[in-house]
Amino acid sequence: MTDTLELTVQHPRPGLAIATVTGDVDMHTADTLRRDASILIERGCPHLVLDLSQVGFFDSAGLSALIGLWHAAQAQGGALVLAEVPDRLMRMLTLTGLDTILAVHATTAEALTAMAASPSTSTGHPGSITRVSSADGTGEPTGVQRPV
Amino acid sequence: MTQPASATDPAPGRRPELVPDPDAEAARMAAVRRYDILDTPPDGAFDRVAAMAARLFDVPVATVTIVDTDRIWFKAAHGLEGVAEIGRDPGLCGSAILRDHTMVIPDTLKDPVAADNPLVAGEMGVRFYAAAPITTPDGHKLGTVNVLDTRPRSITEEDTATLTDLAAIVLDEMELRLSALRALRDEQARREVERRHAEAERARAEAERAAREKAEQDKAAIAAFASTLQRTLLPPALPVVPGLELACHYRTASAHDVGGDFYDVFPLDSDRWAFFLGDVCGKGPEAATVTALARHTLRATAHVDADPVAVLSALNTMLLTDVTAGRRFCTVLFGLLEPRDGGGFTVTLATGGHPPAYHVRPDDSGAVWVRAVRPPGGMLVGAFPQAPFARTTFSLTAGECLFLYTDGLTEARTLEGTLLGEDGLTGFLHQRTAPVTATSLVEDSITLLASLPDGARDDVALLALSVPQPHTTPDGSVATTAHTAAAPEHFAQEG
Repeated sequence: MTDTLELTVQHPRPGLAIATVTGDVDMHTADTLRRDASILIERGCPHLVLDLSQVGFFDSAGLSALIGLWHAAQAQGGALVLAEVPDRLMRMLTLTGLDTILAVHATTAEALTAMAASPSTSTGHPGSITRVSSADGTGEPTGVQRPV
Repeated sequence: MTQPASATDPAPGRRPELVPDPDAEAARMAAVRRYDILDTPPDGAFDRVAAMAARLFDVPVATVTIVDTDRIWFKAAHGLEGVAEIGRDPGLCGSAILRDHTMVIPDTLKDPVAADNPLVAGEMGVRFYAAAPITTPDGHKLGTVNVLDTRPRSITEEDTATLTDLAAIVLDEMELRLSALRALRDEQARREVERRHAEAERARAEAERAAREKAEQDKAAIAAFASTLQRTLLPPALPVVPGLELACHYRTASAHDVGGDFYDVFPLDSDRWAFFLGDVCGKGPEAATVTALARHTLRATAHVDADPVAVLSALNTMLLTDVTAGRRFCTVLFGLLEPRDGGGFTVTLATGGHPPAYHVRPDDSGAVWVRAVRPPGGMLVGAFPQAPFARTTFSLTAGECLFLYTDGLTEARTLEGTLLGEDGLTGFLHQRTAPVTATSLVEDSITLLASLPDGARDDVALLALSVPQPHTTPDGSVATTAHTAAAPEHFAQEG
């Protein structure tokens, strides 16, 4: 288990972000995930793909964060989509019925294809990559670079 | 060894008066202060030097003086009763300390500067004066050792050397005194530092002890509060349900955290009963609020519409609208018990995203049949307005057991470091031996948790319901067992 959680963000096209989550998502880091990803959603990327391939442990606090982000994306007219979901998290999503609400895709490429039809709501610089990291659940994100 | 004014060669006319250079005088005064001798009480060593000087020179008066900024202070004065200091008038000591060597004035009346000195012109009528400066190693002249007489006289060079030696003895004495003084001051400073250190240490230890005491008190108060709150959140005791054996276990991972697990068994009407077991995401006061809200909502709505799906939908709506619930959600199993003709119950179980319940039955061969009761499509409660819930109906007959738990059980780590998981739990249930009763199943589960390396890291709630075999309870009596514990304290209750 680690106490750090990192989001590596790509902006393949306007209004869309792919955030790769690295680390454990638990009661110590779930707020970081919720806060950092919410900032992306609220600042021009309501369509958010969370790449969870680099996630280790994931508990109910993480589920809570996903639910919060789903609501945030809905409120901005976008959608939260999950890709590369680890087996254990997939079982949790199935158990809790969240798999019927949160779209789950095998790969980010698949997720992007599925989202292709979605209308974009803002402009952005395609291909720009930013790194958002926090030491723990209390730290501020270190420089969220958002599309202008 | 010759001086400007010597006994053998008295200066004719006015001797050029030396004026102290301000910088040199400031440095000299700093040296005087360094020895810290001004206004100190009489000291035998200095008195002896003065007495010796008077005897050696055969003069009525000999003194050891220290020249201050505006006065000449007598450290020792032989033959000069009751005089502690005189003004720093030029002519005698005031002039002597401006010279590097012993100053001799054979006849003061013939010395234009000395002639005006009060000691000369005044009542005392000093006619002869000789003084050797007390010179520090760095060249500052602190004062003099001097001899005075009321008649003019001359002294030899040997006498002059003697006076110089006496001044050197005085300086040695002052050096000794200064080093003793320094040693004393160092010792005092060291003791003061030690005293302050000891005092600070005492204060620190005292503060630490007080803080520790306060923390212990706070901890005890918080633990007591959490336990009390926990008890109010749990059913006081499981009810007695005719034809059913009930057992439960509750344990919080920390006595300081109010957990989010909850369960209850309660009557709906004369022969129907309801039960539930759930888990609020999170811990602490906010989770406790949701726990309380969930329990009361489930109980209240079940009396209006006992359909488990309707009950969970009502809870979903309540959690989404109640502001105190915040962004908390929970997973719940809610069941309805309706007695069957000929014994046993019809169970209608709905799930709101909760791990499956287990239906357990030993078969005739002694093996234990285990089925996960998993109504498909039930979503967790309180997260989405459109959440669907699912139910399933089955019979719980004699010798069968229904086992409900929170994920503190399945997420407990095994000796291999992996989570027990559903597979581990299924395997554990298969290993039970007949008869499998609610009580034995809960007790075996507690034993299982206790055998794991760090027990349950999360809160654990267990609820088991079993229908006794007719022959085990021929009189139709029932048993209810409850285990409730907020680690490390156990407050088991029998109901």
